[in-house]
Amino acid sequence: MTDASSLTTEALAAIGRAPSEDDLARIDQEYLGRKNGQVSRLLSNIAQLLPAEKASLGKAANEAKRAIEAALAARRAELETARLADLAETEAIDITFPGPPPERGHIHVLTQVRRQIETVLESLGYQVELGPEVETEWYNFEALNIAEGHPARENWDSFYFSKELLLRAHTSPVQIRAMQRIKEPPIYIITPGRCYRRDPPEATRLPYFSQVEGLAVDKGLTVGDMKGTLLYMIQSLYGRDRKVRVRPSYFPFTEPSFEFDVSCGICGGIGCKSCRHKGWLEVGGCGMVHPQVLRSGGIDPTQWNGYAWGFGIERMAMLKHDVDDIRLFYESDLRFLEQF
Amino acid sequence: MRISYEWLGDFVDLDGVTPKDAADVLTRLGVEIESLTMVDLSQIVIGRIVEQTKHPKSRNDLWVHLVDLGGRLEQIIAGAPNAVPGSLVPVALPGTTVPNGKVVKDMNIAGFRASGMLCSAAELMLGDDHSGILILDRGTPGEPLTTVIPSQAIMEAEITSNRPDEMGHLGVARELAAGLGRPVKRDFMPSFTGTASPPGRELIKVTIEDPNLCSRYIGGVIKGVKVGPSPDWLQRRLRACGVRPLNNIVDITNYVLLEYAQPLHAFDLAKLNGAEIKVRRARENEKLLGLDGVTRDLTADMLVIADAQRAVALAGVIGGEESAVTSTTTDVLLESATFNGPNVRQTSRTIGLRTEASARFERALPPELALAGARRAASLIAELAGGAVHKDWADVYPRPQEPVRVNLRPALIDNVLGTHVPLEEAESILKRLNFHVKVMGDGEWDVLPPVFRLDVTIPEDLVEEVGRVYGYDRVPPTLPGRRHESWTPLAPSLDRRLDLTREVLAGAGYTETWNPALVSGRKLEDLRIAAHAMRVSNALSDDMDTLRTSLLPSLIDVAVLNRDRGRVDVRVYEIAEAYLARVGEKNTQPEEPLRLAAIATAGSTADDGRKAFYRLKAVLDECIAALSGPPCTYQRAAAQLFHPGRCAAVVMDGRQLGYIGEVHPSVSAAANLEGRIVAFEVDVEPMLAAARIPRSQPLPRFPGVERDLAVVVEDTVAAGAVLASIKELAGDLLEHVRAFDEYRGAQVSEAHKSIAFTLTFRSPERTLTDAEVDKVMSEIKLGLEKRHRARFRE
Ligand SMILES: [Zn+2]
Repeated sequence: MTDASSLTTEALAAIGRAPSEDDLARIDQEYLGRKNGQVSRLLSNIAQLLPAEKASLGKAANEAKRAIEAALAARRAELETARLADLAETEAIDITFPGPPPERGHIHVLTQVRRQIETVLESLGYQVELGPEVETEWYNFEALNIAEGHPARENWDSFYFSKELLLRAHTSPVQIRAMQRIKEPPIYIITPGRCYRRDPPEATRLPYFSQVEGLAVDKGLTVGDMKGTLLYMIQSLYGRDRKVRVRPSYFPFTEPSFEFDVSCGICGGIGCKSCRHKGWLEVGGCGMVHPQVLRSGGIDPTQWNGYAWGFGIERMAMLKHDVDDIRLFYESDLRFLEQF
Repeated sequence: MRISYEWLGDFVDLDGVTPKDAADVLTRLGVEIESLTMVDLSQIVIGRIVEQTKHPKSRNDLWVHLVDLGGRLEQIIAGAPNAVPGSLVPVALPGTTVPNGKVVKDMNIAGFRASGMLCSAAELMLGDDHSGILILDRGTPGEPLTTVIPSQAIMEAEITSNRPDEMGHLGVARELAAGLGRPVKRDFMPSFTGTASPPGRELIKVTIEDPNLCSRYIGGVIKGVKVGPSPDWLQRRLRACGVRPLNNIVDITNYVLLEYAQPLHAFDLAKLNGAEIKVRRARENEKLLGLDGVTRDLTADMLVIADAQRAVALAGVIGGEESAVTSTTTDVLLESATFNGPNVRQTSRTIGLRTEASARFERALPPELALAGARRAASLIAELAGGAVHKDWADVYPRPQEPVRVNLRPALIDNVLGTHVPLEEAESILKRLNFHVKVMGDGEWDVLPPVFRLDVTIPEDLVEEVGRVYGYDRVPPTLPGRRHESWTPLAPSLDRRLDLTREVLAGAGYTETWNPALVSGRKLEDLRIAAHAMRVSNALSDDMDTLRTSLLPSLIDVAVLNRDRGRVDVRVYEIAEAYLARVGEKNTQPEEPLRLAAIATAGSTADDGRKAFYRLKAVLDECIAALSGPPCTYQRAAAQLFHPGRCAAVVMDGRQLGYIGEVHPSVSAAANLEGRIVAFEVDVEPMLAAARIPRSQPLPRFPGVERDLAVVVEDTVAAGAVLASIKELAGDLLEHVRAFDEYRGAQVSEAHKSIAFTLTFRSPERTLTDAEVDKVMSEIKLGLEKRHRARFRE
């Protein structure tokens, strides 16, 4: 029969040689197993021993157990350290192999652009206002100072259902409805939505499109305020190096009226192919609200004044993402929609 | 409108102002120059044709020319026969680039050397005419072409509809002069009047029957003119502006139109019946053969110029062929009139003809312009076609143009612009633009706009005049801001609230689409969803003549398009309005409910469709959950577009939101779509209205117990009914129950199915024992047996 100390020596040697965690587990079981472990077996005949022998054997067995346990723990730690040190080789994977793509759907680029525009203008205190797309002649034209027979009407060739009902040619009717509803300025609103004009579909225009118009009615608003608002918006959307230019133009519902241009993002305004050597890209129209339009909205033009602007969401998206054909937005080809 | 830089130079000194400079100044003033075409003629030389012979070998008609280029002869081949010996022609020699971009090379055509090219007007970009070689009326062989024709710059200008006065070179030049701070070299009103006797008004009697449609009619008589070609410079300017030269009289009327913006017409006096002009509405069944060779039926809505017997011109739109000036004409009646804009537009639309004249009249010309144009034309006719201009023209002017005075508080300028414009500068700008400014005692300005500016009527118009010349670039950008005592707090927009739904759909693999709201009405009828459709009365085409009543057909089209382009699985959605006419209420605006619709393609078996239906249903549930709406229930239903056995009404708080189901096989078959499609379409606004802010629940403190239960019931028993029973039977300890599998087949008897549920039990107060849960489970089973004749599988 082996004594405790030779058992310990034997076990420690085995532990020292053990190459793996599994071997250690086996050794653990062999020596320290509850019933059949070598150390337990040392004590198998203890009942027959004298009390003094019992005590000494028990002590020796305990010492052997502790020594083996300690050796096992140490060897385990040693093996673990070695394993971690080798991870770079043992568990290396080919990180260039592509993962299976998650099934992600895409949010329409026009929604994304509309969202950006809303967010920027909300940060200036503008509220989103919505209104009907099938409008009355009065809200679409008369209220905006475009009476029947007005020469400018040709710019808003519209789809009619009857003499009184038509598809709105712009979201300006929402401005009138908002003024009538809110009644008391200050009014700072934006009116995103679909509009319709009788233009046959082509690469640059469609009979249906989306606009965002803005309207501010307050005391003492100026052309400078309008310019600043547009500049803030454009720089927020396209970057702070962009410039905005307003050019005199004509709309019946604003006076003075302007078109507003954004400096070309490619050439920075010097002129290049993509801006047709103008240095500027046309974005939309704007102006100081015509007194007659304020009256249509029930606002007293001697007390308040305002500015307004409008532009196409598609146009903004085309400028931002280099889209050269407006029809792509409404064609719903997933190969296009998934690019955004 | 095309504007010639050279022509502008007649009216304003352009010394040191390049065409590009002029274009920039005009654009900044509001005359938007959309493009500027530079025509460099400096490389082209003048040649004289010495000899012209037909090419003997070429199958095409080619002519071989011997051309004198000032001391040397070159052989040049051309395809047009009009360069006869003696003609002076523009020649492009080998190595030069012709203005239209063509590079000229030495060539050999069927054995004949060709050293250069004879140029047409089109090749030199001096007009649109490419039918023959441009023949010059003067010049020295060998000299550059620029000795007789200066290099050109043509601007394409966009004239705003309020400024008909800018539809002529003089008007544009006035703007340019104001912008440059230089004087205009031409007075608005020419001083020329005729001198011949007897007075013109005795030679022609003019009456205006409808002064609403014609506020002025001037008829000048010029006798003894010699009709022939116009001089080269005049022809060239017409061509540059896209007008084809005809003869000197007609050319002069067109020239003055392009110069003064006043349309004019010349009649052959001898071809009028009676020395009489009547401006009247057309008679029933009256016809007119126009100068374009088209005979038109006229209506009483149209205004005509008539002689004693018949209509001789359609007022403001087109002249009549029978009274036109021809080579044999000697006496001319020159018409310069002011017609009602909307009426001219309507006539022009009705007959589908827009002319240079109608384009100007449409915008309401000032009557004062009629006299200026008439005088200018008469003086040119006298100069270029001879003839005696009779004095004292017929001038019927029933509605004289009222001068409009505008009072301006000059402070308004600074207040509107947001910058300080010195008063002297503002006043000087208005004066440069031909406004008369009188400063009144109280500091207000009494401003009289020039007669050619009918668009200026309110003080804000004057602010605009000052602003655009002062320069809007000089107005510093600012953000508005003052202390407000009231405001509206920000509420998230509808569309931004729906972003929560978009996130769910994106995560589920659905891509958003924006589809046209105008669709084919015929198609809606075929699909039987046209009951509330609104049809456009002036559609561009059949395939977009009606507002859609549902988003689903658009999405089905999207699936078809993407399938055709190679995509097998299509999962798409749209958030947009449907348009539903209110029945029985004509002329009222329709309902425009905002809808959320989605479709997904699936395999072709019935089981594929069934599974796809459940997947889509879960997506819809998630969309609603994302909006924090109450959960909706599904009730078997029948609806257009949907499979009769696989369609449910989506109900929230007792209100029906829409439908979900498999698309009817006949609908997908009609769209040529293989396989099954599942879809839903629901109203968005009630979902948003029902949304509640989610309240947090305390996390459970005790473990839950999960049990599965496989319930075998007859096929006709709905899972939803079993689910409801379980909830009811289980009592308080049941936290959650979910159906996770449905099975039919060998394991269950005929006409039965097995539905598997997972039940989670939990008490907020203690850890549940198995015995407690077993007790509840057996109560549930007992109840299900009774209610649904259920059996249970282990
Ligand atoms: Zn550029």
